[in-house]
Amino acid sequence: MINDPAIESLTRFLDLSVFRSGLILANMANVDTPNYKARDINFLAELEKAGGGMELASLSPVAHAVPGLIERPDGNNVNLERESLLLADTQMRFNTCVELLRDRFKMLSSAIHEGSGS
Amino acid sequence: MNLFGMLEVSGSALTAERQRAEVVTANMANAETTHTPEGGPYRRQLVVFRAQRMPQFGMFLAGLGRPASSGVRVEQVVADTRPPIERYQPGHPDADSRGYVAYPAIDPVEETADLLGAVRAYELNASAVQATKTMIQASLDLLK
Repeated sequence: MINDPAIESLTRFLDLSVFRSGLILANMANVDTPNYKARDINFLAELEKAGGGMELASLSPVAHAVPGLIERPDGNNVNLERESLLLADTQMRFNTCVELLRDRFKMLSSAIHEGSGS
Repeated sequence: MNLFGMLEVSGSALTAERQRAEVVTANMANAETTHTPEGGPYRRQLVVFRAQRMPQFGMFLAGLGRPASSGVRVEQVVADTRPPIERYQPGHPDADSRGYVAYPAIDPVEETADLLGAVRAYELNASAVQATKTMIQASLDLLK
């Protein structure tokens, strides 16, 4: 197989982005649910944890309640601005990562094809 | 949780918010209803939301055994406990012996605010679906 550490770490980054987006979407879906508490991951810490050469399948980020959010009288503390910005942010990171991955694949592909010429 | 599971989370919110909007519009439509099949005036209805774990559809495709994020559903629709408002209308067919008619305790301003809230939340989740679609599209573009 192709052992490119860049591809592996980019994949981890993508995986974490998807996980985080899932949490953001869940927070958004529960914007009117009484007693719901917003959840998130510590992205950088999770990325570092995942960076230690672990297999992808064992990557299991821990979601925790977001501290410091103002709670409404119904016990819900989802902040729409926070979630919207975070979703946009995560999406940008995701797209950047996809572009970088595509670039890596293109390099691999050209390495394969250039070789066939000579 | 995978990209398609995220769509389900937002989808559950779209359904729940639409149900909420339906209940609110029913309240608005029946603000003056004094006669119901159950007897008495119309009772204002309220939805109760509850977070729920989404079914892990497609786990074998891309899921990595992670806990699924929670969507939302309408747990129950309950009747408001506020007593009806009495208006003196002796000629009304639903008037009691004293000439008072019981009207539903529905405040149009309250209902409008609630409807706006439902619409905003619906829009929010619709844009979240859009964002997810963009992410799915981007990852599909990797195959090109």
